[in-house]
Amino acid sequence: MKRIIVCVKPVPDPKHWGRVSMDPDTMTLRREVIPSIVNPLDKHAIEAGLSVRDSFGGEVVLLSMAPPSAQPLLREGLAMGADRAVLLSDPVFAGSDTLATSLILAAGCRYIGDFDLIFLGNMSIDGSTAQVCSQLAELLGLPNVMHVTGLSWTNEGKVIITRKIENGFSKLVGIPPLVLSVRKELNKPRYVPFTGILAAESKEIRVLSNNDLKIDPSQIGLAGSPTKMAGLEIRRFERKRERLEGSPEEIVRKLMDKIYQIGVI
Amino acid sequence: MDFRFSEREEMLRKSVREFAENEIPPKMEAMEKTGDFPAELLKPMADLGIMGVITPPEYGGVGLGYVARTIALEELGRVCGAMPMALQVHHMGCAVINDFGTEEQKKKYLVPLAKGETMGVVAVTDPTGGSDVVGMKTSAELRGDKYILNGRKCFITNSHNSDFWVVIARTAEGAKGLSAFIVEKDFPGAKLGRKENKFGLRGANTGELAFDDCEVPKENLLGQEGGGLAAAIKTISETGRTGMAATALGILTAAYEEAAKFASERPLYGKPIAALQAIQFYIAEIYSQLEICRLLCYRASWLKDNDMRCDNEAALAKYYTCEAAANAAKKAVEIHGSYGIMREYAVQRLLRDAMVTIPAGGTAEIAKVLLARAALAPFKKQK
Amino acid sequence: MEKGGQMEIWVFAEQRGGELHKVSLELLGKAKELASKGGRVTAVLPGHDVKAISRSLINHGADRVLLADDPRLGIYRIIPYSLLLGGMIQDHRPDIFLMGATAMGVELAPRVAAKVKTGLSAHCIDLSLDSQGRLLQVVPGWGGGVVATVSCPEHRPQMATVMPGAMKALPPKEREGEIFEVAVELPDENLGPEVIEITQEKPQGLPLEKAEVVVAGGWGIGSRENWQLIQELASLLGGAVGATRPPVDEGWALEGQMIGQSGKTIRPRLYIGIGISGVMHHVVGMEGSDHIIAINSDPNAEIFETADVIVVEDFKKIIPPLIREIKNRLKKQGSSD
Repeated sequence: MKRIIVCVKPVPDPKHWGRVSMDPDTMTLRREVIPSIVNPLDKHAIEAGLSVRDSFGGEVVLLSMAPPSAQPLLREGLAMGADRAVLLSDPVFAGSDTLATSLILAAGCRYIGDFDLIFLGNMSIDGSTAQVCSQLAELLGLPNVMHVTGLSWTNEGKVIITRKIENGFSKLVGIPPLVLSVRKELNKPRYVPFTGILAAESKEIRVLSNNDLKIDPSQIGLAGSPTKMAGLEIRRFERKRERLEGSPEEIVRKLMDKIYQIGVI
Repeated sequence: MDFRFSEREEMLRKSVREFAENEIPPKMEAMEKTGDFPAELLKPMADLGIMGVITPPEYGGVGLGYVARTIALEELGRVCGAMPMALQVHHMGCAVINDFGTEEQKKKYLVPLAKGETMGVVAVTDPTGGSDVVGMKTSAELRGDKYILNGRKCFITNSHNSDFWVVIARTAEGAKGLSAFIVEKDFPGAKLGRKENKFGLRGANTGELAFDDCEVPKENLLGQEGGGLAAAIKTISETGRTGMAATALGILTAAYEEAAKFASERPLYGKPIAALQAIQFYIAEIYSQLEICRLLCYRASWLKDNDMRCDNEAALAKYYTCEAAANAAKKAVEIHGSYGIMREYAVQRLLRDAMVTIPAGGTAEIAKVLLARAALAPFKKQK
Repeated sequence: MEKGGQMEIWVFAEQRGGELHKVSLELLGKAKELASKGGRVTAVLPGHDVKAISRSLINHGADRVLLADDPRLGIYRIIPYSLLLGGMIQDHRPDIFLMGATAMGVELAPRVAAKVKTGLSAHCIDLSLDSQGRLLQVVPGWGGGVVATVSCPEHRPQMATVMPGAMKALPPKEREGEIFEVAVELPDENLGPEVIEITQEKPQGLPLEKAEVVVAGGWGIGSRENWQLIQELASLLGGAVGATRPPVDEGWALEGQMIGQSGKTIRPRLYIGIGISGVMHHVVGMEGSDHIIAINSDPNAEIFETADVIVVEDFKKIIPPLIREIKNRLKKQGSSD
């Protein structure tokens, strides 16, 4: 194994989501009151990268597109054991939708170069779009697999991937380079050891701007994003409290519909 | 002056918090039931660096010192007070061997402590009581190349969780007649006594050790013969009191969080009870004490890290934080109303745990004697 | 509304093993509604030996079906599927392309969108057209606490994945519709990871904290015999059993199954609480669940305050027929594999 890239996204800490408010003028969320954390599934992605490295060698490089304030979060990934980090940070990146973000991350991956695997969390808890894995892979011209719950290796260097599908699992066999996004069932992320915290202090976080990546500015940021925000509304969380009426038979039928809609059968 | 935590310290806190919130709650029911420490967490805590946080790297530790230790203990205590109670005594065992041990002793005993293979124990208290250290009866007599120990030690934290204990025993008359020994539990004549049944900090074992013509090789004398009292006092007053303070600080933090959370969620007359001024006063009081105690605890630890005298500051932090934790836990129980006395709610445990911190590691009265001595010293007239 | 006012709306017909995912029919229903002011609904159906599905697509609202039949499309793989759909979009230039936010759709749609360089919104809960005929896509974020409306003004097609259950399928009726077979051109190699095994069963015996579905019972269950209903329902839904304090004290449930202040805190996708009054110590352990269904014969049960779906009825009249219904549903799914 030469190199494993793990994409990491800072997200607002869900413990504080009750405090989010909206700026009515810019139609954006006032996120600054809410502390950021590493997207929880991204920790599973980091763990996946570290365990592949621990078995097969190589280096684990964290990659993030975020403001410079994200450095402490990357440091956390380095303390878990990643070898170095690359932070893509430039005001022209701001407002990128998933396609523009994927374009920037793809440029970051090419800059890092020479990788065998790219790991991502299956989705971020804030946007929950789960789109970057497939878009990044497409822009890099590589195959990708989402919903990964298991990984094992054959003697010929092929990777057996188990992934979640509705009502079950499927198994695939692939050859690196691959882009994989992982679910939490894949592993248990290691805790950040104190020795890791000390070691991380001397690990490199390279900050790159678009001067380094040289992406056509018309393709990125707010202007380069095909999707536009047409409206935004904060919904205070309330239970629906919908009472199902009717005979027991009718109630059972309505319950079946509800359970189906929730997507568990 | 700088009152901020460094990025390193913030990361330490985050790391321990995540560990504590995930790993300890599943163990707590059994801890409450059996009173036993969850030994299966020793290895993971060693991997994290908590077991060897003050132990130098050459003996398997991470050598981060006392502010880091206080952060770790506070975060563990926020989830479960018994954890830092047991660990702070473990650290006392590490500190006394590191401060007074020979190279051989450090290699032999500090490494397994830092690796979480066993837990540190410092056994000072005789059945005569802990505050009167000099009055202890447990004896050690040199016969040939062995010391022969006789006597009993009681209220010993981690007694039943360790492979060896640092034991203070009398080798001669008077205050200069106490010596420290590293006694392995398999030495002939070393015995485990009863396990105590405490009403709080239940997951931290407390028990008795008994020595019946116990044979301790001469090389297991820790420090100089006659140096036992100084070793015990240094360890208790620096490592022990900062550790007890951090334990109480964790409980105090939990009491604040439980009280504020419940008050913000529990509706009364259509509004959360936090809208009532009476409840706000309670919360303000708990919060003020928490902030004060944080400063006291971290100041004492910072002094220790900077090789400055910290015994009075540690005594102050210990005395004040334990009292504040008990007070805050009582208020938190009251805020919870009838829920507060239910086993389902954490606040009743916090109250029990906080009460147990008060006599542990030096009573409030002993702390006050020390503080009065410090407070009066500048005005003392020479006779 | 380009191309002389005829809006071309595509719906991805998702099938595995010849069985159509219900979300595709729901999308056809929505597409039909969007096309009501002038437009054509096309179902895009890739697969192998799946022509039989076309009829159902037409009966549910498709004006035509673009059928891409090829052995290489028999089992879903992202590379051939995205190459096919990307090529079809470039050939036919649809205005709107909708897919289900399923395991497959969530993976495939972004890849297709990136291929044709257009916008895509994820997990939509509602779709409508603005006055200029542009698609407004309503998407939840921040765990549903924030709802954004997204549009894609300049790029085509306007793509969206839609949550299953968010739209309603039309009742099927005999309709006219055309079926076109699309020529499938795919490279012979570099088609990405190969599927070597598909297991169609729910993982059993997940720990409570990890289960996607938790069925919890309380004092109201009444007996050890009745408790088996809780266990059976949980296992049919591939979930775990939870309990309040009394069933644990009675020995119906294990200590480790207790949810709440002194038990576990869970955040499953679906929580079903049966015979549970809903005192605070239980509720704090489950209030983070995505969806909460509560069944209790007492109309004043506190748990209803925290529920999305409320059933005021004796559980003994609800759960046994519910179990039968789910078994029937699962049998139907199983037989089509």
